[in-house]
Amino acid sequence: MLLQMNQITKSYGEVTANKEVDFTLRKGEVHALVGENGAGKTTLMRILYGMETPTSGEIVLDGQTVSFANPTDAIAHKIGMVHQHFMLFPSFTVAENIVIGREPAKGIVFNRKEAAAITNGLVKQYGMAVDPALKVGECSLGVQQRVEILKVLYQGAEIIILDEPTGVLTPLEVKELLEAIKGLTAQGKSFILISHKLEEIMEVADRITVLRDGKVTGTVHTADTNVEELSRMMVGRELIQIERSAYVAGKPVIEVSGVSIKGSKTKPLLEQISLNVHEGEIVGIAGISGNGQSELLQALSGLMKPDSGEIKLMGKPIQKAAVREIRKLGLAHIPEDRYQWGVAKDATVMENGLMGHSHKQQKYGLLKGASIREMVSGWVKRFEIKTGSLSTKSQYLSGGNLQKLIVARELAQETPFLIAAEPTRGVDVGAMEIIHGELLKRRDDRGAILLVSSELTEILKLSDRILVMFEGRIVGELAAGEATEEKISLLMAGGKAVG
Amino acid sequence: MDKVKQAMRSLLQPLLAIIVGLIVGAIAIAVVGGDIIETYKEMWKGAFGSTFFLTNTLSRATPIILIGLGVALAFRAGFFNMGSEGQMVLGALSAAVAALYIPGPAWMKLIAALIAAIISGGIWSALAGWLDAKFRMNLLITTLLLNYIAVLFAGYFVAYPLKDKTGSAAMAQTAMIDKSVWLPKLFSGMSLHAGFVLALVGMLLLFFYMKYTVRGFETRMLGANPLFASYGGVERGKLMLISMFVSGGFAGLAGAVEVLGTQYRYIEGSLTTPGYAWSGIMATLLAGSHPIGTAAAAILIAALQTGGMGMERNTEVPLEVSEIIQAALILFVSARFTYTFIKRRKKARG
Repeated sequence: MLLQMNQITKSYGEVTANKEVDFTLRKGEVHALVGENGAGKTTLMRILYGMETPTSGEIVLDGQTVSFANPTDAIAHKIGMVHQHFMLFPSFTVAENIVIGREPAKGIVFNRKEAAAITNGLVKQYGMAVDPALKVGECSLGVQQRVEILKVLYQGAEIIILDEPTGVLTPLEVKELLEAIKGLTAQGKSFILISHKLEEIMEVADRITVLRDGKVTGTVHTADTNVEELSRMMVGRELIQIERSAYVAGKPVIEVSGVSIKGSKTKPLLEQISLNVHEGEIVGIAGISGNGQSELLQALSGLMKPDSGEIKLMGKPIQKAAVREIRKLGLAHIPEDRYQWGVAKDATVMENGLMGHSHKQQKYGLLKGASIREMVSGWVKRFEIKTGSLSTKSQYLSGGNLQKLIVARELAQETPFLIAAEPTRGVDVGAMEIIHGELLKRRDDRGAILLVSSELTEILKLSDRILVMFEGRIVGELAAGEATEEKISLLMAGGKAVG
Repeated sequence: MDKVKQAMRSLLQPLLAIIVGLIVGAIAIAVVGGDIIETYKEMWKGAFGSTFFLTNTLSRATPIILIGLGVALAFRAGFFNMGSEGQMVLGALSAAVAALYIPGPAWMKLIAALIAAIISGGIWSALAGWLDAKFRMNLLITTLLLNYIAVLFAGYFVAYPLKDKTGSAAMAQTAMIDKSVWLPKLFSGMSLHAGFVLALVGMLLLFFYMKYTVRGFETRMLGANPLFASYGGVERGKLMLISMFVSGGFAGLAGAVEVLGTQYRYIEGSLTTPGYAWSGIMATLLAGSHPIGTAAAAILIAALQTGGMGMERNTEVPLEVSEIIQAALILFVSARFTYTFIKRRKKARG
């Protein structure tokens, strides 16, 4: 056994994040760690990577008991970690990012050529293609991830921890990553994979350990299990099948016609976008991220002004209106990047919940403290948001719980129009079930929802109509009945619709 | 129980900082051959030793508190207002001019002077905000540069058109303001004046504004994550102008209370030489922009300064050493070597 974590317990005051967790890893194995948000996966890996010290328990590596005071110790013991949010310098090249911390030098001067040679060597050795001279900021997220993995390999890692590695990747990039993982295990590297995506885990993992509420609910061989069983082990109950009422679109709520936004480069960000969303329907926008979806949503919500075209919300033109006016007219918005747009990390749960509601929760400009508290604690209960208290800073909430807070906040606006961008990114099965249920309920209550997601399964599950974006244009429209993953994928890649 | 523990923890850091700062100061005193205990005793006496010294310290703290509050508001909104000095000087000049030339009863002159100071300081600060909103000029740079314009402008006025020609001294200063317009003293024979009360009221108002009003909430969110704020419908431009105006208004008021409560005229350099503006910014930074903390830090800084003066009067230790002690104290208070750090070290060793 390469690695053994025995009876690991980690408590923060009265909260126990890990309770007597046993976890083992063999050489050349992919061992997946799954569980709901706050189940203790990340804490366990932070302990292994030296970012936290366990309250009790021991780590045995190659038969020797070890303890890491910090990540440098862990790296010295050939353990590497790729975080969910990449830790790269966008303005540095791929090669510079890979050798960072152990740069090759000529005297006291950084040896760029050597760095590029090292990178090319790694590329050859591990079969993961990157261009050493490219700036990381110009690389796609899939390439950035490869850079992260190569960096860890360059640091000599034998055990690689991947935290939610596929959350931001396109379907093709996911496939490539899974291939790369298989290739590396064949060369004797071992992986610990944290993920919510059970299908991917089923494809790549050898063994799976499920955590719930900080405890291990079971370790199974992939061959002996299936997605349903894993979900049950994670959630602790059967998942509910969501029902939806028949599709009857009402009058248009948002009408977009001919909206264009010029980019700073030669390609326009948005080109002649026209679409409508009606009462009682969910319109899904599929597309590889970076094909104009973000700009479209910003134009709709007033964060970016279109150069031409018209946007009408509830029959009123809003293309020049301020965000506050648009929200007042009837728009709520679950943003795609929750840390960038959706919350202030240093603000409390209550303050984050208040955003957008402050003008309703006031009297003579003074905030109604008790009423706000009641509102937010209502969401915490209904969405099962795990938080210490309402005055906990939102940065201490896990990604999924933060997402639930944002979804609750925007649903509570009770607006006729709702933008839901990547509503379940990085969210566990249980939370996804709740969020999907709420979105469908809003649709059944005659709300209009524009759903943008890079998850095809999510688009297919929720949408009544599906639009596909490619390079700033809408390149196809499919009704829910006729859409298949293959058809959408083809359109997403810029191909023409067939059949 | 937990609350008590937490309060103890948050107190531990400044206490530790003060102890370390005092040790560094002790080394400095020993190097120049002073008696450490004696020197610190004199410093304490100079700051808090008697009602006279205590009120003297509070009176010195008054403009520092007001400036600190203004800076705190701007910082909380995410704007680096480094222009307190210019805003304060313009406020002081406007207060002096208003008190000298506005007709009417004394109380009206006093109020007009205070309002004029707030408006001129506020407009000067909002100007920098407008330049940022309109032309994307970096606020840090504009506020710093506007300081020079304001200070030199005021210097010109008191050197030429407004220069006091009545006295024998050919100093760059305005005429003396009539006694009836002065801010009243809080205790007879002491330097502490009603400006201190204004500063405390300002502190409470700012605390209340930040915590309990919609505007205050939006201001904090704007500072915490501007993208989040704009997404939520906070109007950045408007809020920025308001925050910068109020921020500069506080600085202008600081200048006014110095003129109306201590100097009774605008004297060239009387506000810039003691470095009130920079002490105010320091107080804000030390307190992490919390209004009440800022006031407390302002009093601490003022005490270090008046204490230093007392030390210089009564010991052989030169003023420079007191400045070293001040700097060391502030340095260590600002260091965030917190309880958690200490705990972690203990664990790593154990």
